[in-house]
Amino acid sequence: MRPLTEEETRVMFEKIAKYIGENLQLLVDRPDGTYCFRLHNDRVYYVSEKILKLGANISGDKLVSLGTCFGKFTKTHKFRLHITALDYLAPYAKYKVWIKPGAEQSFLYGNHVLKSGLGRITENTSQYQGVVVYSMADIPLGFGVAAKSTQDCRKVDPMAIVVFHQADIGEYVRHEETLT
Amino acid sequence: MKANREKKRLFVGGLGQAISKTDLQNQFSRFGEVSDVEIITRKDDQGNPQKIFAYVNIKVAEADLKKCMSVLNKTKWKGGTLQIQLAKESFLHRLAQEREEEKAKKEKSTTDNINVLEKMGGIDFQMKAVPGTEVPGHKNWVVSKFGRVLPVLHLKNQHKRKIMKYDPSKYCHNLKKIGEDFTDTIPITSLTWELEGGNDPMSKKRRGEFSDFRGPPKKMKEMQKGKGSTVSPRTSRLSENSTSTQRGAAQKMPCASLIPNSSPVPDSGSQKLQSVPFQISDLETARKRNSMSDDDIDSEDELRMLIAEEENLQRTAWSSTNESENDLFEVVSDDFKSDVHKLHSLSGLGINNGSCRVSDGIMGSDHEYDSGDTDEIIAMKQNISKAKNSAEISQTEKPMHNKTLKKKEFSNHCNKVQKRKINKESALSNGVKPLNHKSSDASSGDDEDSEGDEEYKAIMKNCTRVNLTLADLEQLAGSDLVVPEDSESSGPETTCCKFDRASKSPKTPRTLGQGQRCIHPEEILASLLEEENTCGKQKPKENSLKSKFQAFRGVGSLYAKESVKKTLKESVDSNNINENQSSLKLEDPSSISVENESLCVNGSSSKLSQQHPKTINSPNHTLPQKRQFTFQTQDHKIVSSSKRGGRNSVSSLLPLKGKKSLSLSAKTYKIGIDKDSCHSTKKTVAASEEEGSDSSSLTSLEKLPEVSPRKDTQEGTTDISHSISSSANVNAKDKYAEDNQKRLAALEARQKAKEVKKKLVHDALANLDARPEDKPTHIIFGSDSEDETEETSIQEQRRPGKEILKESVGKASGQLFDSSDDEELDSEDDIDRFKIKPQFEGRAGQKLLDLQSHFGSDDRFRLDSRFLESDSEEEQEEVNEKKTAEEEELAAEKKKALNVVQSVLHITLNNPTSKGSVAAKKFKDIIRYDPTRHDHATYERKKDDKPKESKAKRKKKKEEAEKLPEVSKEMYYNIATNLKEIFQTTKDTHEKEEGTARNEDGGGDEMEEIRSAAALTSGTEQPSGFMFSFFDSDTKDVKEETYKVEEVKPGKTVWKGNPHFQDSSSEEEDVTEETDCRRSSPGEASVPEKETTRFFFFSKNDERLHGSDMFWSGVGSNISRNSWEARTNSLRMDCRKKHKEAKRKVKSK
Repeated sequence: MRPLTEEETRVMFEKIAKYIGENLQLLVDRPDGTYCFRLHNDRVYYVSEKILKLGANISGDKLVSLGTCFGKFTKTHKFRLHITALDYLAPYAKYKVWIKPGAEQSFLYGNHVLKSGLGRITENTSQYQGVVVYSMADIPLGFGVAAKSTQDCRKVDPMAIVVFHQADIGEYVRHEETLT
Repeated sequence: MKANREKKRLFVGGLGQAISKTDLQNQFSRFGEVSDVEIITRKDDQGNPQKIFAYVNIKVAEADLKKCMSVLNKTKWKGGTLQIQLAKESFLHRLAQEREEEKAKKEKSTTDNINVLEKMGGIDFQMKAVPGTEVPGHKNWVVSKFGRVLPVLHLKNQHKRKIMKYDPSKYCHNLKKIGEDFTDTIPITSLTWELEGGNDPMSKKRRGEFSDFRGPPKKMKEMQKGKGSTVSPRTSRLSENSTSTQRGAAQKMPCASLIPNSSPVPDSGSQKLQSVPFQISDLETARKRNSMSDDDIDSEDELRMLIAEEENLQRTAWSSTNESENDLFEVVSDDFKSDVHKLHSLSGLGINNGSCRVSDGIMGSDHEYDSGDTDEIIAMKQNISKAKNSAEISQTEKPMHNKTLKKKEFSNHCNKVQKRKINKESALSNGVKPLNHKSSDASSGDDEDSEGDEEYKAIMKNCTRVNLTLADLEQLAGSDLVVPEDSESSGPETTCCKFDRASKSPKTPRTLGQGQRCIHPEEILASLLEEENTCGKQKPKENSLKSKFQAFRGVGSLYAKESVKKTLKESVDSNNINENQSSLKLEDPSSISVENESLCVNGSSSKLSQQHPKTINSPNHTLPQKRQFTFQTQDHKIVSSSKRGGRNSVSSLLPLKGKKSLSLSAKTYKIGIDKDSCHSTKKTVAASEEEGSDSSSLTSLEKLPEVSPRKDTQEGTTDISHSISSSANVNAKDKYAEDNQKRLAALEARQKAKEVKKKLVHDALANLDARPEDKPTHIIFGSDSEDETEETSIQEQRRPGKEILKESVGKASGQLFDSSDDEELDSEDDIDRFKIKPQFEGRAGQKLLDLQSHFGSDDRFRLDSRFLESDSEEEQEEVNEKKTAEEEELAAEKKKALNVVQSVLHITLNNPTSKGSVAAKKFKDIIRYDPTRHDHATYERKKDDKPKESKAKRKKKKEEAEKLPEVSKEMYYNIATNLKEIFQTTKDTHEKEEGTARNEDGGGDEMEEIRSAAALTSGTEQPSGFMFSFFDSDTKDVKEETYKVEEVKPGKTVWKGNPHFQDSSSEEEDVTEETDCRRSSPGEASVPEKETTRFFFFSKNDERLHGSDMFWSGVGSNISRNSWEARTNSLRMDCRKKHKEAKRKVKSK
């Protein structure tokens, strides 16, 4: 467990900023306590100071996880967000996509969001913008990348992919073993 | 010709309404023999016939049919165009036909099975199922794998142009289903039967029965048999066998019923040979299945079948029914069963404890010593329980029951025939279960004829037991003699438990009788006791209590039985044993009756074995008798009763004493048991028993249930029941009466002791409950504040608290619990406290104490001497430093992160160095406002100063807003009345104007008239009314205007500019000027209209406008304005005054 290097921080922040933009600073600089990012087993954990202190008592090889896992660094040193980060992305998300109840299941099974399942979308979403996917009842379901801009979404046929799937809360069941 | 005639069904459409059946019949009888005409009329919602058509059943030759079609089709007949088509056969007809066919086929197959075979040139293929053997007499046909006869194919290779020989015996995967119409071979009816009562694995599974993994060996056997049959000449029997084997094989397959037909069948001629026998076998199976399903309902048939089967004694596929019944049970051993039993009973009571295990072990041993007989008995018992608790017992018991049957098979000391019988019986009981006990009686009657053995007796007992339960239940429902705890709702449950016990208790003596007699009883007793105790503990109701005693009684009965066994043990022969057991069984009912506590049944229980049907009626008769018997029995047992009396007295004295007395009572009880056992069994047994009872008593002491006040009544009832039962026993068998009495005495003593215990516990518990009410605040654990005080004081304070606690505990527990544990704990705590103590000594110690108190009493944050090395202050500083260092680290990290964020987002952030405040500022927008927090006061908007000032304003405005509309309303009415006149006058003027040139004077006069009229109506209400009229109250208006202007201006200067007033006043001024102008005009010559610009509809000085002028002025401005002005003036004055006052105040300050 160690703090992130600057490069790692940059990579990670760039990724997160795709979803929450300037709100990223709210994650870094929180009024309700000091939170920090820690790297452990290639995974980045968002940890409060308190938990960090407690976690320091556990040896590295025994430590499975602490705080909230935001994602992991791939071997190529890219950062990949995990679904566990959704709790922090959803409140700050700038671009949102709401999907219809009928398409919820499909999305939660790891499929992309088709236009037919698109219930609502934040306007002026640009293409390849990171978006957080909500159900129509405003329950965050996951996140992904907008495959089409809002304008394009209007034109495309109903079976066209609108949002590329990246992570969804179905992974809590599907990838239970890898989520830490 | 007639032979050609076939029965056809014709559809005749497009009929007219007038056509009748006879018409049709006549029409069609030309062509053939019309058997039936059916006219169908389709109607729409109103009932008008839309479509009329008919079905005509006609026996007609082909040619005639054609003729008929050509002649009649599309001809007009009685108002309709006929349409004739061949129709499908009517459903009913077809069904009937099918049935007939089926019947015919059956007959055929059954009667001349072989004939058919021979006729078709069939060959028995089952003779050699070895793959690769050629079928004799048929070239290129071989037995393939899976025993099928298949042709050797010569196939042309696709690529090589070479003819390949395909030998099916060398390839496994040559099974392919070729679709056939199954209606020919298997009619629908048989299919449906199949679904219901088939004994193939699929349907079995569908019914929830799962067969064991028994298939392969059986198959082997079949194969062997098949081989054997090849050697012998073909007989009917053999063919039957073969077919049955085939069928068995078929049944093994998943889609069993249809497979034989669906075997790969090439279209060659020789193929028929094969298919025919298959078909036949199929038919047979179908028939058999039919019979099978019948058997399911008809037990007699089944019986016969089973007997026939027993004759066979070979395990053919036919026997699969039985086997499949037994199949389910193979896996589970006796232990499991007992476990389930226990579980069942326990789960009813909500307990599971170690006693289970003990008894399990016993069961295991039981298993070892089992002979066929015991098994049977057990099975019987289970059957009983099953029959009785059919409503309550879940299906889990069913397999159990079956298990025992299975076990029987394994332990196989008896003949198979016997087993079959047992099976039969069990099946009977199974079948009977849904029915009433009546039917079971009948079935047992049937059995009577066939077998008069012990089994029969056991069965009978089953029946009687069923009766007993029924009677019991009836009693529970109806009579007042019901034991109080047996409330109707819980009745079935308790009975269920009882029967579990009952079934258990007879089982155990067998084991005793067979083997380790001296060791087991105590264990059983202990387990039972334990179980019961726990039961009582868990269950608030007294059901458990009752069951307990029943169980005890059961134990008692065990001993009794044991003794019986001993006496009869001399005869070691198996038959003798059987007899013995049967006699035991004879006794069983009585014991059961004791257990049941059914008052009525006891008397008749002795007769039950002989006259089971009477039992139902007997209870009522026996009721009065029993009372008498009780006295008699009491006379009978002089010795025992005296003993008992002594014991009773002892036990009655017990409650006064305490824990020790409790143990005493337990001991006395033990003695009672001992005596019992002495009488019945050897002394050694008694000794061992003492130990067992010791343990049991201990357990009972430790685990004491709650007791409700109902105890006493219960006691009374149980006593009565005891006596009654004992009397019954005496009546039944004088031989065992003494034993019984003694047992009962012991039981009573035990019961009393129990009750005493319970009372004690109850009292103690009541005390415990009452305690907190008395002094709830006495149990005080050291609080933080106390910690802060000096150590010694803490100690002192804690001590008393603990003591109090201890006291309370001790009081609560009374003599029930060993207080040694508590003391130990206490002492440990004390030691701990003392350990910590020395650290607090001295100044440093005090500081440490402070620290501790600061951190709270949580152990995790206890600061021990490690934190107090040399000087606590230094330590604290260090800690602070550490903290700060960490914080700094984190802050630096955060800074870095923020920098990265900045670079990533390409935005400039506020300086994040000042952590708290800056962050707070930054997050101001997302901070949740908490009104209770003081620092959030900064987020509150201060409205204190402003509102004070604005209040007056608001008030003013409100008043204005409120009062203005009122006035205008009144005015509106007035004007409205005027409006009509106005319009009339304008009309007049128009008329006048038409005649003469326009004259200002005339117009002015008219206007004056109008005005005066208006004034008449509203003049009183508008004393200072301002009007746009020409003549009236000009001076007043002007005056007011000037006055107003004067007033406003000072106001303006004082107030911070009120544009409203300014505007309005200026307007008014303008208006006054205008009026002034006009006022001057009337005196002069008429002013030409053209001087003003002309509008589209009216000129500027249009008279009509004048009228309307007055109208709107009347509504809106005049009065309202007047009142408003007056009010504003006053308000303004007020305001000014207030303002001045405020100013003064400020100055003074």
